[in-house]
Amino acid sequence: MAGLISAPHARDQFMAISQLRWQIFVHSLRTLPGRLEMVSWIFVGLGYAILGIAGSLGLGALGWFLVSRDKFAWLALPIWIIFLVWQLLPVMATAFTENFDASNFLRFPLRYRSYFLIRIFYGALDPTTLIGILWLIGLTAGIGIAAPRFLSWTALVLGTFAALNILLGRMIFSWVERWLARRKSREIIGIFFFLFIIGVQFIGPVVGHYAGRRAHPALPQLLVEILPAEHLMPPGLAAAAVSDAAQGGFAIALGDLALLCGYAAVFLLLLDIRMRAQYRGENLSEAVAPAASPKTKQAVRFGWTMPGLSGPVAAIVEKEFRYLARSGPMLFTLVMPVVVLLLLKMGSANHMGSRPVRMPPLDFAFPFGAAYALLILSNLTYNSFGADGAGIQFFFVSPVRFREIVLAKNVTHAALLAIEMLLMWTAVCVLFHPPAIGVTLATLVGAVFAALLNFTAGNFMSLYAPKKFDFAVLGKQRAAGTTVLASMGVQIFIFGLVGFTMFVTSFNGKIWLATILFLAFAAAAFAGYSAALNRIDHVAISRRESIIAALCRT
Amino acid sequence: MDTTAIATEHLTRRFGELVAVDDVNLRVTAGQFFGFLGPNGAGKSTTIKMLTGLLAASAGRMEILGVDLASNPVEVKRQIGVVPEGMALFGRLTGTEYLNFVGRMYGLDRETSAKRTAELLEFMQLAERPKALVTDYSHGMQKKLALAAAVIHGPKILFLDEPFEGVDAIAAGTLKAMLQRMIVRGATIFLTSHVLEIVERLCSHLAIIDHGRLVAQGSLEELRAGVQAHAAPAGEKLTLEEIFLRIVGSSRLADQELSWLG
Repeated sequence: MAGLISAPHARDQFMAISQLRWQIFVHSLRTLPGRLEMVSWIFVGLGYAILGIAGSLGLGALGWFLVSRDKFAWLALPIWIIFLVWQLLPVMATAFTENFDASNFLRFPLRYRSYFLIRIFYGALDPTTLIGILWLIGLTAGIGIAAPRFLSWTALVLGTFAALNILLGRMIFSWVERWLARRKSREIIGIFFFLFIIGVQFIGPVVGHYAGRRAHPALPQLLVEILPAEHLMPPGLAAAAVSDAAQGGFAIALGDLALLCGYAAVFLLLLDIRMRAQYRGENLSEAVAPAASPKTKQAVRFGWTMPGLSGPVAAIVEKEFRYLARSGPMLFTLVMPVVVLLLLKMGSANHMGSRPVRMPPLDFAFPFGAAYALLILSNLTYNSFGADGAGIQFFFVSPVRFREIVLAKNVTHAALLAIEMLLMWTAVCVLFHPPAIGVTLATLVGAVFAALLNFTAGNFMSLYAPKKFDFAVLGKQRAAGTTVLASMGVQIFIFGLVGFTMFVTSFNGKIWLATILFLAFAAAAFAGYSAALNRIDHVAISRRESIIAALCRT
Repeated sequence: MDTTAIATEHLTRRFGELVAVDDVNLRVTAGQFFGFLGPNGAGKSTTIKMLTGLLAASAGRMEILGVDLASNPVEVKRQIGVVPEGMALFGRLTGTEYLNFVGRMYGLDRETSAKRTAELLEFMQLAERPKALVTDYSHGMQKKLALAAAVIHGPKILFLDEPFEGVDAIAAGTLKAMLQRMIVRGATIFLTSHVLEIVERLCSHLAIIDHGRLVAQGSLEELRAGVQAHAAPAGEKLTLEEIFLRIVGSSRLADQELSWLG
C-alpha cells in the first residue's frame, strides 16, 4: 500500500493508547459529574493507599519477625493473605474498579502479542494489583532485613508469585466475562457468586464454633489432611520456596519455584485461549444470543392493577418487579439480611457455652436485620435508573411526569422493604424469640424514617449521578463513585442517629420514647421527601441530556 | 384548510460555541409524510430530539398540533409517538410486557393495552416467541418492537429517527407497510433517514438542514423544480440523491489532495 513503509511498532501503539487513556481522563473532567467522580476517586484512592502502605508495613514486620525467629513454616500465612485479597477483592468490591475494554482496538493492526500485553498491562492497573504488589514488596523487604543473603532469592520467588497473581486475576476475569456475556449463564454465575459470598460469611462462625470446643476430634485430622494440599497451591509453593532455601534445601526450593512457574504457565495458557478468541473477533454481545424460548402462540395478557395507584404508576411498579425477578443476583441480595441473622444466631450460639447470660444485643436482632436490609436496598434507591439503560429515553418522551415515575420507583422499593421487614421479623421470631413490642414498633418507625431519607437522597443521586448497569461486564453493576460516597454519608448519619436514639432509650428502659422520636423524624423526613419530589420534574428536565447520555452510553 | 402539525419558530440549539440548530423555521402540515434530511452533523437528530422533548431548545418556539411544547409538554407527548435513536427499549421485559407497559404509560386501560399489544405483535411478526426478552431480540426485531411501541396509543404524529438503519429488507417492508397505513388514516410522520431511496419512495414533503440551518423545504416536486431551475438541464428528472447533493453541495477531492491514498 502506498506510503505504508513498515509495520507499526508495538511501543508506538502503547504510547498512543496511553495518550488516549489520558485524553479520556482529562475530557471526563469537563463535566461536573466527571469532576465529582474524580473527587470520589481521590477519597477511595486515599483509602486504598492507606490499606496498601499499612499492609505493606505490617506484612514487612511479620516477615521480619517470622524469619528472624526461624519460624519459616509460618511464612505461608502472609502469602496466603496476599493471595486471597488479590484474587477475591476485585470480585467482591467492584464498585470502584472499571475494566478497560481493549476489544475496540482490534480494528487496528495490533499484533496478537501487543493485544495480549495491552490487556495484561491495563487490566493490571487496578487497586488490588497495586495493593498486592505493595504488600509483596513489604514482605520481601521484611524478609530481606531479617536475612539479607536471601533478599534476591525472596525477590525472585515473590516476583514470580506477583506475576502469577496478575495472570490468574486476568484469567479469571476474562473467563468470567465470557460467561457473563450470555444472560442465562450470567444468572447462574450470579447465583454461584452470591452462594460463595454467603459461604465466606459463614467461615467466621464455623471457625468460632469449632474453636469454642477445646478438643474437637475432627479438626486436627482435617488440618493434617489439608496441609499437604496447601503446600501444592501457589501461595504454599511460594512460601516453601523461600523457607526451603532459608533452611538449606536449595534444590527443593528450586523445585518449588519451578512448580510455581508451572502454575503461572497454566494460567497463561488459559488466559491465552481467551485472548486469542477475543483477538479473532469473537462477539459475545447480547444481540447475538439465541432466542431463549420455544415458538408458542401469543396470549392476551393484562398488566397489573394496584389500588390507589394510577395506571402509569402501576405499570412502572410492575416493570420494576419484573426486572427484579429476572435478576438472580438482586434476588439473592435481598435474601442476605436473613443470612446475616443466621450468622448472628451462630455467633450467639458460640458464646452461649462461655456466657450463661443471654447476650443483650440479641434484643436488637430485628433492628440489626432491618438496618442491613435498608443498606442493601440502597443499591437500588441510589441509582434507580441504572437498570433502565436506553429505556430512560422512553420516560422522557412519555406523557408521564417524572414525579410519578420516581414515585413508582419509590413505591417498588418501599414494597420491597416491607417484604424484607416481614421476612426479618419472622426470621427473628424463628431464630431467636419474638422481639419486644417496643423494639418492633421503634424499628418499624425508624425504618420508615430511614427509607424516606434514603428515597429523598437516592432520587436526587439517581438523577445527578446516574450510571448504567451493564449486566454483561464484571464491575459495571454498581453505582457511580459519587453516589457510593453520598450513600455512605447518608447511611452513617441515619444509623448513627437511629442507633444512638435506640441505645440511649433502651438503656434507660424507655424504648417507647424512641418510637415517638422516630415518628417525629419520619414526619420531618416525609415533609422533606414531598418537597423534594415536587422538585424532581425540574431536576429531571434540566438534566435530561446528561442523564440520557450517561444511561445510553455503550 | 391545512392544519399545521409541527411548527417551529427560530428554533436554535447551542452546545457551547457550536450552534447545532440555527434559527430553524419548520412547518409540517397534518397528514404529510415528511422527510427531514441533512448530512452527518447537520442537526437532524438534535432537531428531532427537541421536537420530542429529549433535548431543550436554546431559543425559539415549537408547536405540535397547535400546542406549545415548552409550556405543555405532557399534552404534546400524549399526541405523539417516538422512535428515538437508541430505540428506548427496556431489555429485560418480554415484547408483550414492554408493549403493555408502554400502552399503560400512554393512558390506555388494561384491556385496550393488552388487545393492541397482541395485534401489534402479530402484525410485526413478533408474536412467535412471547417469552423471549427484548435484549435477546435481533436488531431488526427491536426496531419493529420500538415502532410498535411508538404507535400503540394511536398517535397523531410519529417521529422516527433513522428507523431503517440496520434493518433487513423483510423488516423494512413491514415497517413501511405500517407507516403507509398510518398516512392513509391521517397521521403525520416526521422521519430522518440517510437512505434517500426510501425517503424518495415514502415522503411527500421534505426539508433539508445543513450546518444547522434549514436550506430547503417543500414537496419533492417543488425541490426538484427549484434545483432544476438553477442547475440541471431541462427535461432531466433529478433523483432525490441528486437534489440533495446539489442543495448541500458535495466536496470533490482535488487531484493533489490525499494522493497517498493509492
